[in-house]
Amino acid sequence: MHPGSPWFFDPFVLPFSIGVLWLFIAIVWKWSKWFAGLPREDKALIRHNFFTARTFRAIKEAFLECLIHRKIWKTNPMLGFMHMSLALGWFLLIVVGKLETSAYIRDAVNPPHVHVFFRYFFPEEPAAYIRHFNYALLMDCLLIFVLCGVALAWGKRLYSRMMGMKRTTRHTPFDRIALTTLWLIFPLRYLAESITCGVHDSGSFFTGGTGDLLASVLPGGVLSAMEYPAWWAYSIVLGLFFVAMPYSRYMHIFTEIPLIFLRAYKVKSKPEGSTFDNFQIQACSRCGICLDPCPIAADLDINNIQPAYFLRDRRYGHLTAQVADTCLMCGRCAQACPVGIDQATLRLSSRVAFARQSSFYEAPRYEFLASTADRSEGTGRVGYFAGCMTQLTPSITRAMEKIFAAARVDVWWADKNGGVCCGRPMRLSGNLPAAERMERYNTELFRKHGITTLVTGCPICYKTFTQEYKELQKMGIRVLHHTQYIAELIAGGRLKTSTLAASYAYHDPCELRGIYSEPRYVLSHVATLTNAESHEKDRVHCCGGSLANLTLDTAAQKKIGTTVVHNLLATGAETIVTSCPQCKKSLQLSAGNDQVHVVDIAEVVARAV
Amino acid sequence: MTQERILVIGGGIAGLQAAAALREEGFRPLIIEKSPATGGHVARWDRLFPTQLHAREVIDTLNTATDGIESATGQEIVSLQSDGTGVTALSATGERFEGRAAVVATGFDLFDARLKEEYGYGMYENVITSAELEAMFRDGKVTMRNGEAPKRVAILHCVGSRDEKVGQNHCSKVCCITGIKQAIELTEAVPGVQVTNFYMDLRAFGNGYEELYRRSQIENGVTYVRGRISEAGETIDKRIQLKVEDTLVGRPLRMTVDMLVLLVGMRAPKCCSTFGLPTQANGFFAPRDPYTQTVASTTPGIYLAGTATGPKTIGETVNEAVAVARRIRMDLKK
Amino acid sequence: MDFGFTINAPRAIYLDKIDPTLRDKIIARERTTLLCIGCGSCTATCTTGQFTSFSLRKMQHLIRRGEYDTVRKSLQECMLCGKCRMVCPRGVHTRAVIHAMLEVL
Repeated sequence: MHPGSPWFFDPFVLPFSIGVLWLFIAIVWKWSKWFAGLPREDKALIRHNFFTARTFRAIKEAFLECLIHRKIWKTNPMLGFMHMSLALGWFLLIVVGKLETSAYIRDAVNPPHVHVFFRYFFPEEPAAYIRHFNYALLMDCLLIFVLCGVALAWGKRLYSRMMGMKRTTRHTPFDRIALTTLWLIFPLRYLAESITCGVHDSGSFFTGGTGDLLASVLPGGVLSAMEYPAWWAYSIVLGLFFVAMPYSRYMHIFTEIPLIFLRAYKVKSKPEGSTFDNFQIQACSRCGICLDPCPIAADLDINNIQPAYFLRDRRYGHLTAQVADTCLMCGRCAQACPVGIDQATLRLSSRVAFARQSSFYEAPRYEFLASTADRSEGTGRVGYFAGCMTQLTPSITRAMEKIFAAARVDVWWADKNGGVCCGRPMRLSGNLPAAERMERYNTELFRKHGITTLVTGCPICYKTFTQEYKELQKMGIRVLHHTQYIAELIAGGRLKTSTLAASYAYHDPCELRGIYSEPRYVLSHVATLTNAESHEKDRVHCCGGSLANLTLDTAAQKKIGTTVVHNLLATGAETIVTSCPQCKKSLQLSAGNDQVHVVDIAEVVARAV
Repeated sequence: MTQERILVIGGGIAGLQAAAALREEGFRPLIIEKSPATGGHVARWDRLFPTQLHAREVIDTLNTATDGIESATGQEIVSLQSDGTGVTALSATGERFEGRAAVVATGFDLFDARLKEEYGYGMYENVITSAELEAMFRDGKVTMRNGEAPKRVAILHCVGSRDEKVGQNHCSKVCCITGIKQAIELTEAVPGVQVTNFYMDLRAFGNGYEELYRRSQIENGVTYVRGRISEAGETIDKRIQLKVEDTLVGRPLRMTVDMLVLLVGMRAPKCCSTFGLPTQANGFFAPRDPYTQTVASTTPGIYLAGTATGPKTIGETVNEAVAVARRIRMDLKK
Repeated sequence: MDFGFTINAPRAIYLDKIDPTLRDKIIARERTTLLCIGCGSCTATCTTGQFTSFSLRKMQHLIRRGEYDTVRKSLQECMLCGKCRMVCPRGVHTRAVIHAMLEVL
């Protein structure tokens, strides 16, 4: 019980020690299983990048994200402080506690429970106290720091809007155990330390002060009788927390660290899935930051499909196709995620897993394509691929015809008389081999006609041409969406335009994420643009028509689009402009009447030509 | 005794007939019309189904019946209030109208066919609406944009009706029979023309409609293809290429025509959302109940007549206009 | 009893003899399939339909009649591009219907 045995053993440390041991085994088991299961090329990436500056960058990122929680600070400062005080505070308690014990114990044996229950084993400051750094004061400050976080967490449960959150996550039973014990750990530590300090008249201002207060209000024997049970209680909640942790959302604490390193080594999730997915899935703390940006939550009040829930369901093995399929893949959540989880690819790999269960998955598809006549026309080096959707919006194709003619571009029309789908809608449904078959067909078509530039009218096609059509790059074909192409024509002086006396609000299609300057350059060149910062670019709300969605009906989609129309018209624009045939159709449906017109950027430019 | 004034909002056939009937019932009606002249959609039509009576004759009858009734044209009502003892209507120009009660006979708007972009209306010069075809009939000259007579014409049913993609789930009720009538008239106006009607369902429900349908087939040789056109394209010589599935044969059908007529449906006009009265799922005003109170709104003092409550034929509209006058008499006597 | 001739395959669809299990599963997965009135818009606009006799209209109705084998044969021709959904006047979630058929059949 007292210093003497280097093991500082007391029965009450058992719950804690067993918990720590359990947690340690669980983490080692999980990590090694996941690492061992990584695909060979991922392992090669790790080997290749390990002794590079990437490792240092990862260390820095791990510090900034796992301890400081920098990205959450950006979302909401109070939320950031809450996460930081819990993570950084606890981390420092461990580090400083370890230093403190090392200062007092000269023995080589210094098991973890010694610094955790330090005050119990060293109730009074040893004689050497003065010579040393004032650890008691520092530890008290750190305890206050952590307790602030606990208090804020309580406050967040009661009133989440305080931290800018409308929705908070619903918990699993293990989460509840872990959460409850987590909330109790530090108050109990505070209580146990204060009692010991009160009994022994020691400690710094916080625990010592509280101890003095307790000693003054409680009769003499009561306080010392409470001491031992208090340490037991502290140990038990710690032990419970550590046992529940591997099953709970708090597993994220130890999963985010390897995730940051693996990501730094360029390991990525794949549509086919790999054990790397586990690092991403279990790195989700279900903090709930992804809930509010989700259009499906905001407009449809569907609150079980957001990444926090999708990843939860997938982690515990009860993912349903309904949850996997209900998503617009607009990317708002991923953009908000403080851990940077690639939810789109994870969702895709879940869809692939469901699709694989079908007898059609590997079946040879589209054999008719082998004998299909080439329907393309024209001989130009610039190819135009309208895409399936653009065939239902002939005004976009017409506008492009006019623009190409005005810029004197000789065009090869890939699918004017009908073509084969780019494959992305099929890919998003999880049927990869079928998508690949279409990709092969189109690649061969482009190769055959020797084009050097491929302009597409549809962001869906654009995305898949740039991401999945690996051959195009080798063939030296530049892929451009027509916004980019028109911007180049204007900037290069090849397309002369007048200025229109009209105001437009631009809607960024989800599939053109990152392509923000070109449409703005084009539109402000030919007309007045009235976008509002809060609803554009990365923060754009999906039009509702996304092909990634496999469940929502038209009424639901219309509701999502109505938010977009409302946001855009609030800027004072007369006309809504976008650069995606799917968005155009969806927004026109949501705009509802013929008072508001939704047009494509190509139509605006064609009017000014 | 001073006669009580009743506001009649809308000077189409419903408004005209309501005003005439209200005068008969002893009221002093005031017709408020947004356009410069009364007569509404019917005044712009050539001939009417099912007997091909000239629309002018209906308008003439109603004009005679409303002779001497006060009217204010060029006044678009933007708000309508009832306080239980009287109603107040405000026009877009700021004019104020007061009366004991009001009849909302605001009718319908034609669906804007540009919203069905895949049919190319407003883009391809030989895609026209049924209203434009009717204007051609009135002018006595059905031609393509280049002035030539069409040799093949396609009439597409259900444009802006029964189409959830443009937020119009309802059936506009009169287009099927209008399509049949216009097909007949096309063969009469352009000798030798081949007319093909593309439809999802043909709803020839009224008296004499089925007979007209039969006549169009046996006498006029009109072809009916059961299939909804999915896309139209324009050829270099400005003809219209159609993509459709002939669902009865079960095969895709491609066809090139000289002219495509879109049978545009009825949609609720803007006032349906600005008058503050309850509306139905189709956007039109909701009657108090659809059985015994079809001409009363849920607000006392405000009544409804004609297509303000949804698509109707001329006969039904005129009947409602008579009924609304009687309903007002019965309610105000109490 | 032998009447001197045999009928190889029945011409008629015996609605009271069909196995409704798969049909009901598909309907449970995507109820909007029930909205189809067979206007043919989907088939007319179909990307695959340019090359083959693929017809979503027929498939949906065949499923409702319990004729699964015929559907199985053409199901894999669909490219899932979604044009049919854009033109369907009844709001059939055509992609979801195909997706459900791929999983159920």
